[in-house]
Amino acid sequence: MKFQIPIGPQHPALKEPISLRMTVEGEIIRDADLRLGYNHRGLEKLAEQKTWIQNIYLTERICGICSHSHTTCYVQGVEKLMEIEPPKRGQYIRYLVSELERIHSHLLWLGVAGHEAGFDSFFMYTWRDREIVMDILEIISGNRVHYGINTIGGVRRDLDEQQVKHILDSLAILRQRSEYYQHLGTNEPSFVARLAGVGYLSREDAIALCAVGPTVRASGVPMDVRKDDPYGIYDEVPFEVCTAETCDVLGRTVVRIKELFQCYNIIEYLLKNLPTGPVAVRAPRRAKPNEVVSRYEAPRGENIHYIKSNGTDKPERLKVRAPTLGNYAATIKMLKNGFIADVPLIFAAIDPCICCAERAVALVDARSGQEKIISMNALKQLSRQVAAGNARKREAEWPL
Amino acid sequence: MNDQIVIDKAKASLGDKALEITNPAPRRIFIRVKVDDLLAAVGWLRNEMGFTHLATISGVDLGQAFELIYHFANNFTCVNLRTEIPRDNPLLPSICEIIPGAILYERELQDMFGIVVQNIPDGRPLVLPDDWPAGNYPLRKDWKYERPPEVIPGGKK
Amino acid sequence: MATVKTLIYLIVYPGLLFLFLYSTFVEWYDRKLYARLQNRMGPTHTGRFGLLQPIADFFKLMAKEDIVPDRADRKMFSALPAVGLAIVFTAMLLLPVWNYSLDRPSVTSFNGDLIVLLYLLSLPTFIFFLAGWSSTNLFSTIGGARVLTMLFGYEVPLFLAVLSPAVLANSWRLAEIAAFYRQRPALALVNLLGFVIALICVQAKLERTPFDIPHAETEIVGGTFTEYSGKKLAIFRLMMDAEMVVAAGLLATVFLGGFPGGALLGLVNFIVKTLVVIFFLSLIRATTSRIRVDQVVSFAWKYLAPLAILQLLIVILVKGLLS
Repeated sequence: MKFQIPIGPQHPALKEPISLRMTVEGEIIRDADLRLGYNHRGLEKLAEQKTWIQNIYLTERICGICSHSHTTCYVQGVEKLMEIEPPKRGQYIRYLVSELERIHSHLLWLGVAGHEAGFDSFFMYTWRDREIVMDILEIISGNRVHYGINTIGGVRRDLDEQQVKHILDSLAILRQRSEYYQHLGTNEPSFVARLAGVGYLSREDAIALCAVGPTVRASGVPMDVRKDDPYGIYDEVPFEVCTAETCDVLGRTVVRIKELFQCYNIIEYLLKNLPTGPVAVRAPRRAKPNEVVSRYEAPRGENIHYIKSNGTDKPERLKVRAPTLGNYAATIKMLKNGFIADVPLIFAAIDPCICCAERAVALVDARSGQEKIISMNALKQLSRQVAAGNARKREAEWPL
Repeated sequence: MNDQIVIDKAKASLGDKALEITNPAPRRIFIRVKVDDLLAAVGWLRNEMGFTHLATISGVDLGQAFELIYHFANNFTCVNLRTEIPRDNPLLPSICEIIPGAILYERELQDMFGIVVQNIPDGRPLVLPDDWPAGNYPLRKDWKYERPPEVIPGGKK
Repeated sequence: MATVKTLIYLIVYPGLLFLFLYSTFVEWYDRKLYARLQNRMGPTHTGRFGLLQPIADFFKLMAKEDIVPDRADRKMFSALPAVGLAIVFTAMLLLPVWNYSLDRPSVTSFNGDLIVLLYLLSLPTFIFFLAGWSSTNLFSTIGGARVLTMLFGYEVPLFLAVLSPAVLANSWRLAEIAAFYRQRPALALVNLLGFVIALICVQAKLERTPFDIPHAETEIVGGTFTEYSGKKLAIFRLMMDAEMVVAAGLLATVFLGGFPGGALLGLVNFIVKTLVVIFFLSLIRATTSRIRVDQVVSFAWKYLAPLAILQLLIVILVKGLLS
């Protein structure tokens, strides 16, 4: 008995609208299909009509979780176009926020994974500790989510001694808690039973389907833009690329937890070696006609912006590819022949950010652009007519 | 250093097919090929050079033509393959046979620029609604968004 | 006098009124405990310490719009919650809390009431299945199928685990089993393994984490209850709370020595012992993650059922040694 179940566009497991259609046989998924576009906002088109500075705040709004990733990726590209180099201290603060954002994103993901697996206690604990990072970010930038700290040529706010001390103290707590989560996430029997072997993505498939971020790293491919294509200050910061060999959701969990510890190390290094000096330089208003490809390792994987300038104060083209879009093809592969019960876990394991992946067009009215006004009574009558016309029938057959 | 190796190999293997090779920044190589040579160049990049990861495909509306940039990367360097197709006959070969992961980017190109990708395994619209009016390609430079007149239900006519 | 007593038994204690109030209290207790274990506050707002929150929720749901899907079997869809509630409330009357005499079997306490109680506790599972099935929603259908699949897993170990104390006590009557273990408390320790198995099975029967598979919200939305709303959902929720009270009462009777001491002391006993059982149930709920339905069945048959049989063997051995 085959039937199709819709996961989304509205579904409790998804925090954002996306439509997954599963063809299932009993509890087993035979086919999966994906439909995007419920959250398309036309950002790429919009960016062509805004100035370089305005676009920083536009790209920040591509995503709520990795807002800093998109601005940094954009800003470091625009700096190349404008041929300016931000001062060292500015760069250190910029990538400090990047790493803090990575911690906040990974803690959030751990909680979501717990929730999707029905382990709500894990969810509550990780989200409680995520507040510590959010507080640090608020202290640095003044905001919890859209930090607005990047500007072309550096950052907008400086750090003082007290803030540095506060961050280091908070990190000690986080490190201790993360150790506990590492133990819990890899030892709690019912949790591990749900994660291990689920959403298998072989190394070959991960490469062929161009997966990015923790998804591909959990399949044993050490791909990390920070190492492969070191941008900013990452060529002077010591850190390791975390991988796992299990190719499943458990591996993706392990990779993220390991990355948390790397983040703590990076942040400590950055704070202890924080150079003195200004945090920003003045940027010109226009950029010469040129083009640049800017890559950035967002918490969810590789983020790539292609920016083309035409000599005015507005970009000619801004192409954004968020990590989630790169992982969709792999997700479809992972979903096939899995259980319905594993759909939310597998889907959550790529840490999907639907509004990241969809950027380009403002939706005109979904129908013909016309609106029809109909009274509630007429609507009820209409529905009754339709219902009367349909013979009552059952879609499913009696199983016994 | 790495870039020079790739550039030398590109010159040797692609020969005339590579119309232009530039290296504007470290780890950024741009190679221009004709659209007929695209599949050969992609196949060479993937199978011989090990550029297995296609980051994305960027489309740019140049006015008379569409420029497409295939961003490839690995831990060695980053190669951007550039090609152009005429606007009045936007036909592009699909690279899904070589790189299966390109499917979503190609579908997005179809939606956004009205490029016809030949031999695409699954050519349904990806991001635009199913009943999106035909012939509207939002990322073309001449496409303007017109806000539909606002109708307040029950308001004044 | 006897009529008045029976009426009180049916309506006040342990019948309708007490069970309604106590199940809302138990829901509060479970929610509060679960919240505190998760570092949250839980209900705080309605009443002192949020005690009235479940009642407020119940009445709020009662006032909500009640929708019956067009394709659903209207009569069955509407009747199921009421039937389910009636079954659970009937089961409550069989617990030996008050108004029974050990020597004289009556309608509420007779030889074999243990079996009847277990049977009455199995029926809600079928009610959930029928509820899911008659909704004709895809998610409900999957939920209903999962309810039945799980039933095949936990039902046998539960029966074995609950029946082995009865074998030792040499009686099928709840009141007598409880009295037997009150006289020889040391023998209750023999059933420790059975108690643990029964706790896990009751957790599965009540569909709570890690067995909340039939209504796993991140997978199949509301599961069996996807189409239920308003009054019917309120009654279903009350039914699940009451089922938790009855199941905890059953475990307390069989394993923890029942509720001696007449009306007042018996009440105190009842509350303390059921809360202990529910504490364990909440603890399991807070510390595990939801497992898959195939894992439930394999877990039940690989571990729970053999252990339950082991428990039965131990009981038979002990019984042989005693006689």
